[in-house]
Amino acid sequence: MGKSKGRKLLSIVLMSLIAFVLVACGTNGDTTDDASNGGTDEGTTSGEKTELEFWSFWGGGSRRETIESIIEDFNDSQDEIEVTHVYQPWGDIWTKALAAVASGNDIPDIIVQDINTVRQRADANQATNLQEYLDQEDENLEGLFYPQLWDTVVHEDEAYGLPFNTDTHVLFYNKDLFEEAGLDPDTPPKTWDELEEMARQLDVQEGDSFEQFGFYPLWNLGLDVWTINADEGTSWFDDNGDVKINTPEKVSALEWVLDWQDYYGQDTINSYEAEFDSGLADPFISGLIAMRGQNINYYTDLRENAPEDFNFGVAPLPEYEEGSGPWTWGGGFALEIPYGAENPDASYEFMKYLVSTEVQTTFGLNSFDIMANQEANEALEDHPDLDENGHMIYKLAHQNLDYTVITPVPLTAPDYLQLVNGQLDEALLGNKTPQEALDAAQESVENLVEQNE
Amino acid sequence: MATKQEALPNKKPKRKWNKRKKREAMWGLFFVSPFIIGFAVFLLGPMLFSLYGSFTNYNLTSKMDFLGLANFKRMFTQDELFWTSLYNTAYYVIFNIPLTTLGSIFLAVLLNRRIRGISIFRTIFYLPAILSGVAVYVLWMQLLSPSTGLVNTILAFIGIKGPAWLFDPNWTKPALILMRLWSVGGSMLLYLATLQNVPKQLYESAEIDGANSFQQFLNITLPMITPIIFYDIVTSTIGAFQIFQEAYVMTESGTAGPANSLLFYNFHMWNKAFVAFDMGYAMAMSMILFIIVLVLTFINLKVAPRWVHYGGGNSA
Repeated sequence: MGKSKGRKLLSIVLMSLIAFVLVACGTNGDTTDDASNGGTDEGTTSGEKTELEFWSFWGGGSRRETIESIIEDFNDSQDEIEVTHVYQPWGDIWTKALAAVASGNDIPDIIVQDINTVRQRADANQATNLQEYLDQEDENLEGLFYPQLWDTVVHEDEAYGLPFNTDTHVLFYNKDLFEEAGLDPDTPPKTWDELEEMARQLDVQEGDSFEQFGFYPLWNLGLDVWTINADEGTSWFDDNGDVKINTPEKVSALEWVLDWQDYYGQDTINSYEAEFDSGLADPFISGLIAMRGQNINYYTDLRENAPEDFNFGVAPLPEYEEGSGPWTWGGGFALEIPYGAENPDASYEFMKYLVSTEVQTTFGLNSFDIMANQEANEALEDHPDLDENGHMIYKLAHQNLDYTVITPVPLTAPDYLQLVNGQLDEALLGNKTPQEALDAAQESVENLVEQNE
Repeated sequence: MATKQEALPNKKPKRKWNKRKKREAMWGLFFVSPFIIGFAVFLLGPMLFSLYGSFTNYNLTSKMDFLGLANFKRMFTQDELFWTSLYNTAYYVIFNIPLTTLGSIFLAVLLNRRIRGISIFRTIFYLPAILSGVAVYVLWMQLLSPSTGLVNTILAFIGIKGPAWLFDPNWTKPALILMRLWSVGGSMLLYLATLQNVPKQLYESAEIDGANSFQQFLNITLPMITPIIFYDIVTSTIGAFQIFQEAYVMTESGTAGPANSLLFYNFHMWNKAFVAFDMGYAMAMSMILFIIVLVLTFINLKVAPRWVHYGGGNSA
């Protein structure tokens, strides 16, 4: 009796499971059928347009306005494709897209993705291979972009995305404070030594506390940027995928940063950082900090928040030593067609439109983003709609991109930064010497690579 | 049904009884079916899938090859952050559970008095429990700010130079434990309800016997609420092992804090799953966590009879 009851329960559970699975699969099949029917219908009937969904995280401000007017122009320019912009919040967009690709439902047609992980998605079959489209082009699309940006979208010699925008890290300095300190406002520091020298002249100390900081390397810039700068553009991994963490140059960069930390004192730095974090006043605009290394995009902040007569300059990051090159670091975003999207042909057309010089120029003009298309930035260097500062920004950006390193995630160790950053913290906290910390990081990351190979 | 009736053809009296029971069982199953189906589809299914996935290199989209025990081997012998994350989580659990348990019992006892305006106090102390999520974490980040935060300002009043909390790897975990302590209102409410069910006559008779209030607390109150303490410990241990959000939100862009000091088990698992797309490995990690929690709960259940007192409330 007990046995038969157990069996019955089991059978009911099983039946309901099977029923559920069948129902789930059934609807799944139906929707894809419907969708693909719809898709082909749209393709063949001349009257109907192919509808595309474009996902971005540009939720407000100039970027959203610009992209929407660009899309409107595209929709008006032809009658085959109709693109709709779908805003997805920054924190959700890529997880949502991943879930869509994994489940095969509601896949966006085009998406703005992190340029550093294009290869990772290419490798995991999450992005559509664009090579066949590129091969059919008369002109070489690749030539439009900065070479290091193009590199990020290529996996095993085939492209899986098109670079859209980028950025670079530079030195912003306050020209008025330069003059006050008796420095020439048109000669920003060129080397680390000059930087230190000038910073000392710009420091204003009142008893124990600082009224004005010349420069502190870790304010608005990561330690990794300084190591790239010192190591002549080699990031934690070199071009061959070898781990290059404990090189003498990187150790010396870390030592240099620690010298600055000692100079101002950890307590001073902490308390000011807490103040900056409160976001009450921008310390660069208020004149508390005379020079600051940061993302060139900071210019949009200055435009919005700085008083009209705020007199600032931008310059490449100073070089490690004379002749080593003003190496710096950048990021950016790429356009991708998620794997399994229904209308890759039409999507590719739209993507091509988005990276065209004209559209890229428009986007840059309105958002002050540094564009992936070289000609667009060149056009913006003396664009009539921009003021002098705008020209200065694009001139510097275009020139700086020769020395800007993009650091795509290595396929052999996608989560390696957790290990490196942990060790860098140990060094900054004084628990390990720079050499010890970087040696440990080198070993840990090599071990991680080994695990994944 | 038909087959079963054929299977038992010559046991007539039993079959009749059986039929009624069967019908009852059918209805029973019918009523619990939403749960059973929900459990099977949303919990058991994913769990079994995750169990299988833990033996593979599953990456969500392109790979699912059987690797045997490779993920587990890697976890225990090669992945140094696995041990870091396990240590951080154990640290958090070991300090968090006793402190929040004691804290909520203490609060509940305080709030169990009959004084004017007690319900206002109860509300105030319960309030943090219903506030949750990112807003609270951001608030605490400000409270814990090393130089301008309220916590260190108050410490400075009494002559203590407060630590850098979220910026000092030695203080990040205590900071989170402190924050947790602030929101013990939820379990406080459980204790409060139980305290009010402790029969009055026990205290009366103790008073006649000359027991002071501390003795009363120790010998009456505490034993009477042990079932709830037990329940609280079991559920909060399970919860504490899953700590993730706090660490993710309260460290800059999810970096797991200075020197990986807030890299909790689930944080590391999340990194493996969604940064490295190493879903198979993350599944293997979740299996290990499952086993850890299972063993702890089992031990809890085994030890419980020695200290949990199920003296039937009012009949005593």
